[in-house]
Amino acid sequence: MPHARGFTILELMIAMAIFMVICGAMFGLLQLSQQKYSSETQLSGAFQETRLAIDQIVRDFSVSGYPAVSMFSKIPTDSSQYALVPVAWDPNYAVTQCLVGTAGGGTCQTPGDFDLIVETDLGSGVSWVRYQLIGTTLYRAVVPKTAGGDPVSATSLASVKVPFLTNVMNNVMNTSSAGLLTQINATYPSMFPGGAPQPIFKYTCNAAAGPQPCPLAGSDAVPGNIRDVDINLIVMTRSPDAQTQILKLVQLSGRGHRVNPSQ
Amino acid sequence: MKSQQKFVGSHAQRGAALLIAIFALLLVSVVAIALIVSSGTDSALASNYRTSTSAYYAAIAGIEEARGRLLPSNPNYLSLPASPMPLTQVVYIINPTGGETVAPNDTANPATYPDKEYKQEFGVDVSGRTVSIYSSVSPVGGLPPASYKWVRISAVTEQSLGDPQVPGSYVDVNGDNIMDTVTPLFYDPANAPTPGLITTFAPPATASQALEITSYAVLPNGSQSMAQYVVRPLVVFPGLTSQTFPAALTLAGNNVFYDGPGTTGFYIRGQDPGVVPDPGRSDQCPGGTSAMPAIGYTNNNTGTDTSFNTIKTNATPVANYQGPPINPGSPPTSPPTAATAPTSISYVSDQMNQNWLTPKGLDAVVQNITNGADVVLTGPTTPGSFPSGMSASSPMTIVVNGDLDMNGWHNTGYGLLLVTGTLHYDPDATWEGLVLVIGQGNFVSTRGGSGGIDGAVFIAKTRDASGNLLASLGASSFSQTGPGSNVGRGINYNSCLARAAEGPITYKVIAFKEILLAN
Repeated sequence: MPHARGFTILELMIAMAIFMVICGAMFGLLQLSQQKYSSETQLSGAFQETRLAIDQIVRDFSVSGYPAVSMFSKIPTDSSQYALVPVAWDPNYAVTQCLVGTAGGGTCQTPGDFDLIVETDLGSGVSWVRYQLIGTTLYRAVVPKTAGGDPVSATSLASVKVPFLTNVMNNVMNTSSAGLLTQINATYPSMFPGGAPQPIFKYTCNAAAGPQPCPLAGSDAVPGNIRDVDINLIVMTRSPDAQTQILKLVQLSGRGHRVNPSQ
Repeated sequence: MKSQQKFVGSHAQRGAALLIAIFALLLVSVVAIALIVSSGTDSALASNYRTSTSAYYAAIAGIEEARGRLLPSNPNYLSLPASPMPLTQVVYIINPTGGETVAPNDTANPATYPDKEYKQEFGVDVSGRTVSIYSSVSPVGGLPPASYKWVRISAVTEQSLGDPQVPGSYVDVNGDNIMDTVTPLFYDPANAPTPGLITTFAPPATASQALEITSYAVLPNGSQSMAQYVVRPLVVFPGLTSQTFPAALTLAGNNVFYDGPGTTGFYIRGQDPGVVPDPGRSDQCPGGTSAMPAIGYTNNNTGTDTSFNTIKTNATPVANYQGPPINPGSPPTSPPTAATAPTSISYVSDQMNQNWLTPKGLDAVVQNITNGADVVLTGPTTPGSFPSGMSASSPMTIVVNGDLDMNGWHNTGYGLLLVTGTLHYDPDATWEGLVLVIGQGNFVSTRGGSGGIDGAVFIAKTRDASGNLLASLGASSFSQTGPGSNVGRGINYNSCLARAAEGPITYKVIAFKEILLAN
């Protein structure tokens, strides 16, 4: 019985080296695909969260103004029993309606480019539902409407504000993350024309000449005449692309239409 | 023997390789499974979101089917069992798919999509009500039907408007602090201080019943949604206390202009043909009891307004302008005061809903009619663009945005005609119903013919020549000055034809909410 011939050390080393090279390449590829996978997961996650957010805003807006004043033969003395108008406003809530503008125009603090308060009954009495962008976080707050109360201060309490969507970049140039704008512009040159903030909410008003964008509607541009809201959300993923370090953003838009009458 | 030994040795080596291979495979499998599981969670999230939205829109689809089928002009018109609908009657449209049974009133059987919501709203189980069930009509052949299961149409009460998930909640429509569980709600556009719902068993003539349309959708995967409209029929009329027009020809506004042909064959009559059967009239209205002025105007300040004097001067011969008292009246010598009984030429503002006396209010009227119209045409246009199929039993609502030239149209139209520009009328044509000229407020006819308008005509100028809304009503104008004596029959008030054209032309939403389902 002859002695079984083994491998020489050289053979073994060559085999090992080849094996290592192949393994290295495979792991490199695996890591690459893992990075790609996590980036894409984050992107689709951002996409999905944004879609959910838009859908929720659209649905809240479409039921805004319930119950309207026209549901009563005698308007209740307790103003928390009805929606005064579908969209609450500030300043001078319930006294004088302000004018809706964009980019700092108009006299309304809210409804504004990044702030919207709808008045409606979501199933447990009339509430104020507020969407407000603070920094890069869009907050949603739901508080019961109170007679004589102020929708802005009621929805500003930290205890009622719920972070609804994070990494919203519509107003990034006016936040502590302003430095990101240069990088965003490099990747998405048409996203922020002129480096200007992009309103989340744009309003359409019922005006004498028919529906038109509120800023063009003159004296008809009051919150009570708002019939549609165009929603435009620009959301960044939690971390940049793992391979290229490029910022990844999604931009989605939707439109809410009020079904209830304004009064 | 040697070879056998060699075989045994090689066999032992293969065993080690197998172990290593299995180990490696296990490692790869774990990674793969982890990948699959994590992407599976993502798909589940997306699909939850999609089905929640699908169910919501399916429920809306159901509501819209019911809302459409409430209209008499709908080919699948769903006639309610009673008008007004009593609380004890409930109508369902059911939409079963794939051989399933949908029986919302069988509340004991959880498999047939029972309407548990009804008891939450009305406090009574729906199985104790008189239920009429209709089948859904698929809008377009070949399309899969929407996934709603049933739509309920019912009367509305203060109680039913409350939040179903909040015990004891209600909407205090009449402000009496008492939850009313039995009185149906009506919508009264003449309610003061604002048009709104009223609680009553004896509605005023201007009110119409509010209906609740509730839709329940369940997707094949179990995702469900419920939504609810409260709707009211939109009926077009300016009357303050009844669903009428204030005169055969109403010229709303300031310094209005009237010019008639001054010939014997042309009449403007305010009496309903039911009051004084007139063999000279082609239109009849059994039971009609209205006695209206021939021409109504809305500014009676003779110091600053020329309306009355212009109409009086040009409405000749006087015997052809007939209003109360019943037979040939002659125009009053001076403008009547509000207390004066109506005569052939009358100040009618007191009989009108104030919304019909301001440009803004009339603009809303135009918007409402436009939204509910059978067809909206852009002017300038001609009756050649009118839809076919108009008849006395099937009146239509036609809106012309701009000018309409009826020159050479030898036909009869039925229903409501709204023109926002200038209406060039040709008395070869006959219109049975309502003619509204609101916008430029200009009715012109210089042609001959033997037709006429039976029903009512309303003219108001709400916009200037460039289309801007005026601050107050301008000078509306009616001028029919055809050649010779053949200038048409004129205008005959007819409450039957007017009522048929008034609608309901659509069901307007006065409330919309999603209903939270107790899962």
